[in-house]
Order: sequence, then structure tokens, then C-alpha cells
Amino acid sequence: MSAPAVVAPDTLARTWGTRRGIVGWLSTVDHKNIGLRFIVTALFFMALGGVLALTMRTQLARPDNHLLSPQLYNQFFSVHGTTMMFLFAVPVMMGLGIYLVPLMIGTRNVVFPRLLAYAYWVYLFGGLFLYSGLLTGNGAPAGWFSYTPLSESAFDPTKGSDIWAQTITYTEISMMAVAVTLIITILKQRAPGMSLNRVPLFVWSMLVTSFMVVFAMTTIATASFFLAADRLINTRFFVERAGGDPLLWQHLFWLFGHPEVYIIFLPATGIVSHLVTTFSRRPMFGYTAIVFATIATGIISFGVWVHHMFATGLPALGLSFFTASSLVVTIPTAIQLFCWIATLWSGRPQWRVPLLFVLGFFFILVRGGLTGIMLASVPFDLQAHDTYFVVGHLHDVLIGGAVFPLMGALLYWYPKFTGRMPSETAGRWAFALLFVGQNLTFFPMHVLGLHGMPRRTYTYLASTGWGSLNQLETIGSYVLALGVLVTVGNLILSAFRGRTAGADPWGADTLEWATTSPPPPGNFASLPVVESRDPNWDQTRPEDRPIVTGLPPERREVLFTTALDAVPARRIELPGPTVWTLAAAVGTTIGLVMLIFTPWGLVVAALLSAAPFIAWSWPKVGGSA
Amino acid sequence: MIRNPKTIDASALPTEGFGVASPTWWGTLGFMFIEGSSLALCAMAYAYLSRRSPLWPPSGTPLPNLAFGTVVAAGLLVSLVPAFLLNRAAKRMDRAAVLRMLLIGTAVEALLVMLRAYELYALPMRWDGTAYGSTVWFTLGAHSTLLLLDFGETLVFGVLLLLGPVEKRHFADVADSAMYWFFIVLIWLPLYFMLYVSPRIF
Repeated sequence: MSAPAVVAPDTLARTWGTRRGIVGWLSTVDHKNIGLRFIVTALFFMALGGVLALTMRTQLARPDNHLLSPQLYNQFFSVHGTTMMFLFAVPVMMGLGIYLVPLMIGTRNVVFPRLLAYAYWVYLFGGLFLYSGLLTGNGAPAGWFSYTPLSESAFDPTKGSDIWAQTITYTEISMMAVAVTLIITILKQRAPGMSLNRVPLFVWSMLVTSFMVVFAMTTIATASFFLAADRLINTRFFVERAGGDPLLWQHLFWLFGHPEVYIIFLPATGIVSHLVTTFSRRPMFGYTAIVFATIATGIISFGVWVHHMFATGLPALGLSFFTASSLVVTIPTAIQLFCWIATLWSGRPQWRVPLLFVLGFFFILVRGGLTGIMLASVPFDLQAHDTYFVVGHLHDVLIGGAVFPLMGALLYWYPKFTGRMPSETAGRWAFALLFVGQNLTFFPMHVLGLHGMPRRTYTYLASTGWGSLNQLETIGSYVLALGVLVTVGNLILSAFRGRTAGADPWGADTLEWATTSPPPPGNFASLPVVESRDPNWDQTRPEDRPIVTGLPPERREVLFTTALDAVPARRIELPGPTVWTLAAAVGTTIGLVMLIFTPWGLVVAALLSAAPFIAWSWPKVGGSA
Repeated sequence: MIRNPKTIDASALPTEGFGVASPTWWGTLGFMFIEGSSLALCAMAYAYLSRRSPLWPPSGTPLPNLAFGTVVAAGLLVSLVPAFLLNRAAKRMDRAAVLRMLLIGTAVEALLVMLRAYELYALPMRWDGTAYGSTVWFTLGAHSTLLLLDFGETLVFGVLLLLGPVEKRHFADVADSAMYWFFIVLIWLPLYFMLYVSPRIF
């Protein structure tokens, strides 16, 4: 007897659905739920980090201001940076990947859905832990990079740096679990026919990013473990007089820290490729070039870290090498930019709101890239090091390079998330506010930096003459915040008031638009077979499309395909909902919180996580492991 | 309904598979990458600090006992025999042989964990004296954690095979745990060389 070709909606919901009520909410393993949770939580942390930034900008609005004490200012910029990098930028991109990847590659869920659920809880608890430190006067005080010896016990006797180090551990555990899950899902669960040269560009970017996460996050996890040990059990990794070296921390940190920038930036390039393709109404120009550029960026980004350390007195020959590699890394980005421009140029662009964010991205990213090339040169860097020039540069790259595409992405995939269209008018206002705010806030910083204004200093004297530009920046930051508010308001209100979207409101090319909005549990009524790079454009009549049949509809079965050509190899059964993932995350959390007081926290974390982990992996007869 | 000729019927596809056809194999590979990188970073810290230090180990710090370190490394290598047999039995889907090798493996690994505990106990320096001591303790400690983890995994599989419901596809998981065992042993060899042999040669 062969199974039905198209699974009835209620069968799909019964097999792949999440239970109702609080237990269902806590036990879900649906990648769409978990992905949205990552996104919403990351936006929540962005708001917290944004409030810290606004407070700092208010403090700097005029000379000799005393809104924040120097100590609190230190904690604010450290927690702001840590939040934006670890709790917002990376998780929001991974969240987008968790939601979109299975839809784009035509499968029903990720390969390790329970691991993903665990990863979310650990991330949430880790983020709250960082803020519990700030609220109890133990905010991390030594910068988002927590440089030694400043972060060693001798200089930070509070629990701030311990909490910082453990927050890193939480988010690293979470992000590595997500990355491994996405890599395997992308390599092994693609729809039949989706060979590597047909993989959507966002999925490519998530694949490269996930590999980078695995390597880069291992580095910072190991380094933060060394730091925590130096503080807790007096190891001497970074203590000069006992044969350690504070520069070892900087090497380890930036070996992670620079790839981190690309971990945030590469998913954004993937987003831009989709927005450009859809709104140009043509397939991407230079698909292969973009894929290779993405891979090249991922690899080269691991060879540039010393450009953060030009001022540490390293040998000149080494510095020249890192200047060269830092210049080389701009080449693949330029290739991508030219491909996007060529696509727009030769297409019929529709200037919808998401595409406006792409234009904003072009403008600000290119400026950030150019100041980056300036900073890659050692003589210039020695002048601009630790000034506001660097602050201006990095915010151009991160906000222009990642937040603008992200805003475009949230509006573009919003109909898929909710089934409703976001407001075009509110979107245009938000774009205008964000664009003006970004330029008002961060462009003058370059000028102030060239005038010598140092970063990470809580105030300045009136005689410096920096007051008026600082005031302008503060006004800009409020405009920027207003832009974020309008976006958030749009996202919330449109969920109730927005026009019904339908499956494919933009007329886009990839598979996530081939299913209803929002997609049902299990994503597709029948698993698709792919015959081209833009499957949703090639076959207009759904009934003409080839599909996969023969998977038992009452089991959580999906196809496992070959890594290169996506030929079906076997059926695998995916696990269903469980609350053990939450229990394991709570165990991890208890252990890691204890770890700031006693090394036995590690044992507690291991035992309390292992027991639920075994419970969730224990096989059921006829069920799944 | 019109049936597209390119429609794929998956009903005849297998529901179990080893190696690249097993999700656990890929997961284990990812775990090996992560753990391998963190051990490599411990080694990098050791190498970096040794180059920055005029004397390595610092004067007055004795080296760890070469004879005992070699015994543990040799013991790890010998333990590859049950790991190899376990892998083979799993691929034959021979439940009795798998159970036998799991029990032997658990005993062998328990012995290795005890030897390793003594190796740590007998280290002639503390972790909080010098950076040298810190790197030695962390390299050895990180590897010991993995060894302990693998011991736990072998034990859990043993209990599963004794008590739990076992289906064909679980043999793939057992084979993957044998692969992880190989990883634990083989990655120790360069680290053993670094900690025990290299300071005596260079």
C-alpha cells in the first residue's frame, strides 16, 4: 500500500503539531516556533542594549555631564557591546536561519530539533544572567572584549567579569548547537534535486556562517574558560609575572572576534541576495561568484585578527601580513556588491520597502568598508586606535552591514511568519528614520575621532570643542531609536491589522513561498522535488510540480539526501516534542551560575544536564531516539 | 490528480543507515570538530606561552612523569581493540556481540579513567603556580573530560542494550560512539607528545 501523495492538513497537524497549552509551549520542537523565539528574544535584547546606548549618548550629549558615573558608564558600554554582539546580532541571524532554512530547502524540520529547543532555553537564560549582573551592580566592566589584565581579579574584584565569562559560555553552547544542527540539515535534508549549485543564497550564507560559528565560537569558549579559571581558581594563563601573557587573551579573543563580524555579516549578504532577486524580478547575476565569495570571506576572515592588535607592539613583519590580509578580505565583498548591482541594473526593480533597506545597506556598508580599509593600514590605525573613528567605523559596518538587511528581512519574511502584510507606509517612515539616524549618529564620530576624542571615556571637557558634534550624535541616536520603535510598532500592529498575505505575496523564487503563510506544522503538504535554482518561478501550476510520495504520514519522517546532489538516500525519523530539553537547560543554567562562585559548578552543570539529556535521547519502541 | 513523472516514491528507501546516512554520525563529527578545536587551542596556548618564556618549564618546575604518561597513552591505544571490535559488531547488527564488546569497553574505559585520575593526581605541579602548570592541567583536564564523557556514553549504551528497546538503527549510534572513542584516543597522541616528550627534546 502506498502512502497518499498529499498529506491532509489535519494528519499533518496531528503528526507534526505542537500540543496546546503551557506544556505544548514549553515542549515545542518545531523549527518555526524556535526560530521566531530566537528572533523575538534577540530583538528584546537589542532593545535593552539600545536603552543602554541611548543612556550613554545622553551622558555624552554635553561636556562634563554626570548622568552616569565612570563605573556605571564602563558597565554600560561593556554590557551594550556584549548584548549587541552575543545576545542580539548572532542569535537573530541564527534565528532567521532556523526559521527559513528548512522551508527553503524543502524539508519538515531540522535534523536535531530537540537540541535546537535546548539551545534556545540556554540562550535565553544566559542573556537574562548577564542583565541580572548589571541590575545587582555586577555589570561586566572591562569592555565587550574583556581585555586582560583589566578583567582579572586584581582589577575587577566584582563578579562582573565572571558573569561575562559565563554569559559567553551560555551563548556559545547555544550557538554551536544551532550551527551544527543547521550544517547537517543543509547538507543532508535538501529536497531531491537541490544539488549544491541550486541551494538558495541565504542557505549558502547560513552554511558558511555555521561552519564559522563552530570554529570561532570554540575559540572564545575556550578563552573565556581560561579567563574564568584565572579568576576562580587562580590559574595563570594571562598573568605576566607567572609566565602567562595578557596578549594571549587578545590573540584568542580576536581569533574569534573578527570572524564574529562576518558571522553577523554573511547572513546579511544572504538576505540581500534574496531581496535583490525578488524585487529585481530576475535570477541572481553571478550566483556562482557570490557563493565562492561567501566561502572565501569565511576563510579569509580567520586570517585578519591581528589588525585589532596593531597598537600592541607586535613585530612589524607580522603587521604587514595582517594589513595585506585585511585588504584582501574586501575583495569578495566587492564581488558580491557588483553582482547585486548588476542584478538590479539588468532587472526591473520594484522599490518596495525591503529593497530600500538594501539601498541603505549599500550606502552605509560601503562607507564602513572604506573606513575599514583606512584602518587596515598600520600608520593610520596607530593614530585612530581607540578613538571615536573606530566606533563610527564599526557601527557603520554592523548596523549598515547587518541591521539594515535584517530590518529588510523582517519586513520581507513577515508575511510568511504571520500570514499578514506589514504596513508599507510605516516601513518607509522607519527606513527614513533609521537611515537619517544612522548617519547623524555615526558619521560625526569619524570626525570626532580624527580630532582625538577617545572612546570608552565617560565624559569630556568643554574646552575640547567636541560638544556640538556630540550633541548632534545624541539627537541622531534618538532618531535611530524612533526608527526602531516604528519598525517594532509596525511588526506588532500588522499582526492584527495587516492585509492577508497569501502564500507568495512578493512573487518570489524560493521554496518557502511555495507553502501557505504561515506554513502548517510540517511545512509542506507534500515534500517538493526541485528542478532549478528558482523553483517557485519555473513551475507556476502547483499541480504540475514533482513531489515526494511514500513517507508514512503518521510518523515524523523526512528524507535524508546525499550532500552534493541531494539524491534521496534513506528516510529518517525526527523526534517529537519533549520538556526534557527545558530541564536540561535549567540544569546547565544552575551549574553555570554556580560556576561563578565555585569550580564544582562544572560538575553540577554536567550532572544536571546529562540526566535530562539521556532522558530525551532514550528511545521509545516504534518511536524516535 | 496529474502525477508528475519526476515524482519520487520514497516508500522503498531504507530506514536505517551507517556513516554518512546516519544523523548521529554527522552530529558526532560536529562534536569532534568542536572538541578537537578546543584541545588544539589548549595546545596553541601551551606553545604560545612556551615561546614567550625564557625557560620552559620555568626553573624549579619538574616535568610530568614520562613513564606513567606513556603507560596511559599506551593503555588508550590498546583500548582501540575493543573499540574496533565494537564497531564491527555494530555494523553486523549482532546484538550479542555488541553487548559483549560494550561491557568489555566499559570495563576498559573505567580502568583508563582511573589511570587518568592518578595521572592528574600525580602531576608534580599545581595549576595556580605558573602559566606552565595552568596549560598542562587544562590540556590534560580537557582531554580527561572527554574521556569521562565517552566512558559515560559507552555505559549508557550498555544499559540501553541490556534493558531498552533496541531497533536496527540504534546499531548505527553504537558504531558512531566507537568512532568517537577512536577520536579520543588518536587526538591524545600529539598532546601526549607535547606534554611529555617535547619539553625533554627541545
